[in-house]
Amino acid sequence: MAQQKDGLRAAPRTPGTRTGGDGGTRRRPLRERHVDQTVEVAVPVRTAYNQWTQFKSFPRFSAVVRDVEQVRPTVTAWTIGYGRLHRRFAVEILEQDPDAYLAWRGLEQRPWHRGEVEFRPTGFAGTAITVRMRLEPRGAAKILTRSSWAARLTTRLVHGELMRFKEFMEGLGQEGGAWRGTIRNGRVQHDRPEPPRSRVAQWPVG
Amino acid sequence: MQNPPGEESETSLSVTPPKKWAAGVPAVVHALEYSLEQTSPRRTGVDLLTMNQVGGIDCPGCAWADPAPGRRHRNEYCENGAKHINDEATTRRVTAGFFREHSVADLAGRSDMWLNQQGRLTEPMIKRPGSAHYEPITWNDALGVLAGELNSLASPDEAVFYTSGRASNEAAFVLQLFARSFGTNNLPDCSNMCHESSGFALSETLGTGKGTVSLDDLHHADLIFLVGQNPGSNHPRQLSALEEAKRGGARIVAVNPLPEAGLRRFKNPQQPRGIVGRGTQIADRFLHIKPGGDLALFQALNRLLLEAEDARPGTVLDHDFIDAHTTGFEEFAQHARRVHWDDVCTATGLTREEIEKVRDEVLESKRVIVCWAMGITQHKHGVPTVREIVNFLMLRGNLGRAGTGACPVRGHSNVQGDRTMGIWEQMPDTFLDALQTEFGFDPPRAHGLDSVDSIKAMREGRVRVFLALAGNFVRAAPDSDVTEEAMRSCRLTAHISTKLNRSHTVCGDTALILPTLGRTERDVQADGEQFVTVENSMSEVHTSRGRLEPASPMLLSEIAILCRLARHTLGDKAGIPWEKFEGDYNTIRDRISRIVPGFHDFNARVTRPGGFLLPNPVNEGVFNNKVGKALFTRNESVVPRAPEGHLLLQTLRSHDQWNTVPYTDNDRYRGIHGSRRVVLVNPADISALGLAQGDHVDLVSVWSDGTERRAENFQVVSYPAAKGSAAAYYPETNVLVPLDSVADVSNQPTSKGIVVRLEPVLDRTHPSPA
Repeated sequence: MAQQKDGLRAAPRTPGTRTGGDGGTRRRPLRERHVDQTVEVAVPVRTAYNQWTQFKSFPRFSAVVRDVEQVRPTVTAWTIGYGRLHRRFAVEILEQDPDAYLAWRGLEQRPWHRGEVEFRPTGFAGTAITVRMRLEPRGAAKILTRSSWAARLTTRLVHGELMRFKEFMEGLGQEGGAWRGTIRNGRVQHDRPEPPRSRVAQWPVG
Repeated sequence: MQNPPGEESETSLSVTPPKKWAAGVPAVVHALEYSLEQTSPRRTGVDLLTMNQVGGIDCPGCAWADPAPGRRHRNEYCENGAKHINDEATTRRVTAGFFREHSVADLAGRSDMWLNQQGRLTEPMIKRPGSAHYEPITWNDALGVLAGELNSLASPDEAVFYTSGRASNEAAFVLQLFARSFGTNNLPDCSNMCHESSGFALSETLGTGKGTVSLDDLHHADLIFLVGQNPGSNHPRQLSALEEAKRGGARIVAVNPLPEAGLRRFKNPQQPRGIVGRGTQIADRFLHIKPGGDLALFQALNRLLLEAEDARPGTVLDHDFIDAHTTGFEEFAQHARRVHWDDVCTATGLTREEIEKVRDEVLESKRVIVCWAMGITQHKHGVPTVREIVNFLMLRGNLGRAGTGACPVRGHSNVQGDRTMGIWEQMPDTFLDALQTEFGFDPPRAHGLDSVDSIKAMREGRVRVFLALAGNFVRAAPDSDVTEEAMRSCRLTAHISTKLNRSHTVCGDTALILPTLGRTERDVQADGEQFVTVENSMSEVHTSRGRLEPASPMLLSEIAILCRLARHTLGDKAGIPWEKFEGDYNTIRDRISRIVPGFHDFNARVTRPGGFLLPNPVNEGVFNNKVGKALFTRNESVVPRAPEGHLLLQTLRSHDQWNTVPYTDNDRYRGIHGSRRVVLVNPADISALGLAQGDHVDLVSVWSDGTERRAENFQVVSYPAAKGSAAAYYPETNVLVPLDSVADVSNQPTSKGIVVRLEPVLDRTHPSPA
């Protein structure tokens, strides 16, 4: 496991373990992590979180994310790649708390991964963003990722992406959009009777 | 290309063992064979290589979703899609000379297959009162005759405007706008006959009339149910999704009265293992259920899940979901616990052990999807069955999460979109208010007529004019003799069509054939080349653009015909810019974007590669039904029974058939060759009825009105149908479905579970198939 921290005075905190019904936070801390990276961004938590929820904008700063398709609030399809090599995979968000926490899992069977990102306020109206990931590849990839080289590579990759997000976010200064919903157990918890996106034809379709 | 058949071909029945797998190399061979019989290699190539591609033609064959852009195969179509598209792209032509040669009475005596094989319609035709023949007419005169007839009606409600699911979103929107500005909500559609029961049940329980799953959900499910559907013939591209799900570790439970080839094994012709290997096993478990036993099956599964929860509290049901998002659980659970096993076993023909094994599969699966089609919806208890499926999904929270959900699999390519556009006789006030605000006229508020009620109204003389936007209403509707009598009693019938079918031959005093462009053809209007849009079964809205030159320079697009008809009928009365709509379909989409929820920025979003996905409230945690929560329902048990000596008949398609149009007399997956007049019966039932394979019988349906409905001269084929049941092809057997035999709540004709007896044909000379 590799750990690294950039920036100033991130508020130390172990991922929460509170449990609850559909109305309460239910975090699933990753006990075994292959990646654990933190970066501090000089914008308030709300700003950093809001921008993070704009998954479609990830290709604007990322070196590896080529395209993100928002299939529905809990499901995104990511295309990543270098050069002519591409891979598309779907990701399900399992838990999401505005301004605090987001946990996901890959929906593909090969390779399999899950991760979480945590947002914490720092002393100077900044935000500490921590990304943790656990990889469980199968087949040949499994052998490759056992090596410390592969773990270092993944860590470096995530670190680089976080640094690019920091640069992007601080350069923008404010978010370009927001999704403020809550997700529990892979299901959206709506806070309004009819959120805008749900306004679709309601009559029976034969 | 081969010439159309001159006379009906006479072939005799031969039967081979049913196939144990679907697709593979034979599918490619058959698709190309039929395509090249209809048209040239160049046209075939243009069609097939642009079919279901970004910027290409949406296959009119079915409503199955396309993979995301970038993930599509170079050949993104199935055998039946290829046949269907080239059936439309045929180079055969029906001209004025053809109609001089064949009287209406002559054509009415022809088979569905023969009529279709004559080729594309090329110019407007009219059959005048008292005339035996159709004759050419100019577009202006044809639309003038129709408009004159509409304007002479005592009430707008004496007209009916039918839509088939092939029509585009734009054409459907224009049709409903015309009908409502004319003054009626009489907008029956083919949905009335296919998934109406799904729409009613899902709207009531979940607050959306549409399915909740995407292709990605299927790929990531742990367990998939295929209930009352035959993907191998009716939506073969579903097999690719199922194959991918299986490769991801999913298990599949198939529930059907017939062990269809596509439920068993799929040989994907685009994969080496599908060409030289054994392909992919589809169903891990097959439940050979009696027709109509599905309600009992899901009630039994729900009871078993409740009992499993009792045994291991807190481990089986998704209490978080049930508590936070549903209502009615206690009443439902109380009811479900009282389901009798004797009733379940009688209704399903399954053993308790078989159902318990399925329960175990469910308990081992975190993500479950249920797919279904007309094997569910066309029963009298179609609505309760879909409701019970929803109960089943809700118990373990299999809604609103990735890899879970309800998947009604639709047939016509834009049947879902046409409804979204307002083709429904009972549109809510919110939609009508939006129409009023946008166009400044007062739409009628009284509910109109659906398909069944339209037939009744025609028969009783309450409807005088029938206009169909595509389709073959006479053959799609139930109670064929009654429907034909109803059509013949109209003053005028008019059909906007690409090809000849029986609905043109069973017509009112005056009849019009209004020939139109097909999906495959370039659509050039005043503002240049146009495209249309469709919505697939998974709520993705995207474009469809034809590439071929039109079959005739005289063809108008569906939108052009409707806009011109509106101008002829309404003049400037409604103040709707019909001419602009005809010249530039963007202007129609702009209006749709302001009226239909979910279509904002329609023009901009639909032209992106792959179009856009309409949100599904269920996947947003929203249940827009009357109670604002997902609704558990109590559904009374139903045990379908046939009296001694009778069977429960289901009508179905052959593999070589698209809706009401048979392409050949063969059904190779079921081993039927050379005849469609067959009835598939379990060997034990054949023996019990004192019959033998190959016997000629009449099928006679039994119904409470005492009317004898008879489909003559079918041959008995020994087949592994569920015991006590029989199966035969529609539209030949639609004559057996009483008009008054409809599904509770949805008013959908019950084309499944018809009680029939098989009467041996003794002395009567066998009539030729018609």
